[in-house]
Amino acid sequence: MTPAHVHPGPGPGELLIAGTALSLTVAYLAAAERLRRRGDVWPGGRDAAFALGGLGTVWAALGEAWGGPFTQHVVRHLVLGMGAPLLFVTARPLTLALRALAPGPVRRRLPALAHSGVVALLLFPPLAAVLDIGGLWLLYRTELFAATGHRPLLHGVVMVHMAAAGLLFSLAVGQLDPVRRRRGLAVRGTTLLVAGVAHGVLARTLYAQPPPGTGFTPVDLQQGAQWMYYGGDLVEAGLAVLLGVGWYTATGRARARRRRRGPAPAHALPLPPAPVSPSPSPGTRRGSWSYLEFPRKEA
Amino acid sequence: MSTSTPPDTASGSRRRPGRSMAVCALVGAAVMAAVDEIVFHQILGWHHFYDRATTSVGLLSDGLLHTAELLALCAGFFLYADLRRSGSLAAHHAWAGLLVGMGAFQLFDGLVDHKLLRVHQIRYGVDVTPYDWAWNLAGLLLLLTGVALAVRAQRRRTDGEPPG
Repeated sequence: MTPAHVHPGPGPGELLIAGTALSLTVAYLAAAERLRRRGDVWPGGRDAAFALGGLGTVWAALGEAWGGPFTQHVVRHLVLGMGAPLLFVTARPLTLALRALAPGPVRRRLPALAHSGVVALLLFPPLAAVLDIGGLWLLYRTELFAATGHRPLLHGVVMVHMAAAGLLFSLAVGQLDPVRRRRGLAVRGTTLLVAGVAHGVLARTLYAQPPPGTGFTPVDLQQGAQWMYYGGDLVEAGLAVLLGVGWYTATGRARARRRRRGPAPAHALPLPPAPVSPSPSPGTRRGSWSYLEFPRKEA
Repeated sequence: MSTSTPPDTASGSRRRPGRSMAVCALVGAAVMAAVDEIVFHQILGWHHFYDRATTSVGLLSDGLLHTAELLALCAGFFLYADLRRSGSLAAHHAWAGLLVGMGAFQLFDGLVDHKLLRVHQIRYGVDVTPYDWAWNLAGLLLLLTGVALAVRAQRRRTDGEPPG
């Protein structure tokens, strides 16, 4: 039996991922520091989330995992394509960039990019899910996985796709950053459900049936499949909590608004307001989930 | 499940028995599914992670159930928190809903998953009949208790007693 998936040392794809993650983390921390120096509030939990995501990504690209080759691959995939993206999204990087960048061409282009049609299309949750989970099915249920074993460049491309698609999916479902079209809870929740099912079913079939063209030992395969299944659950629960917190805060704000203004039509339950809105509504209490809310200076 | 939240006057703090019951039924079903998974899959190891005889329909239904359980648990938690926050939780209806949800899920799992789709069995290598009877009767008992509590809660409400 030939080990189909040996890591011969970091290839160009791995180095690209690790380098990008590291520089983005440094940039994030510097930007947050800049905000704080000028007296803005930027919760420290977000810094921690982004830094943890960055370190996780670097480890997944360069580090050594445990277990057989398939288990190793699965653990990397969990960190790179699911765990780290969730942490990145929780840290609201785009919001930070918009607030920290000095006026200039870059500052002007960023919202234009975030609001462009292509980005809006990519951030349509079902499409993001197809790109992410569909790619995973393609990887494990075609000869692609076996091919990545002896082609380092292809392996790198697969890893980059995994990281990018995972980030896209988390961005589309979490939707904490200001983007052009904010999708409702129903479409994001349903997408999360369907994606979760597709991920879980794939993990279960891998338990008994290896990717074609590979020769992993049954123990390795079973261990990897269970890591994929339960690790996927964990990340999915994290995304669900993100959606729940968003709904809970938005409902509370809407109710507080109604109370101030008197009864309003009940059907107008809004989405969470775009976090770029510069004027925080006065008198809104900061809850215990405040690190996920729009940060505002204490009066 | 007493409501300590002060009633909010402006938006009308009417208790919402229907919503309380529905939300808690959702939580109940999800909790039962989670208990089933944790106790029988993880602790006892009676169910199998993947029983190779499983059909693809069964695999899909099991996956759907598992993911839906996770999301329902999370959604139910936030919906319940919102009911409490707005002071519209009706406690008697909530308890009734919880039991109805638990019983309904248990019966659904016992009848549809185990018998109709044959996704997995309760235990392998033994005569499964007594287990099936225990499983389904327990579900039925939970469901009936929940329905009785719901009837009682509704009667109290229409009799003009203070609800909750």
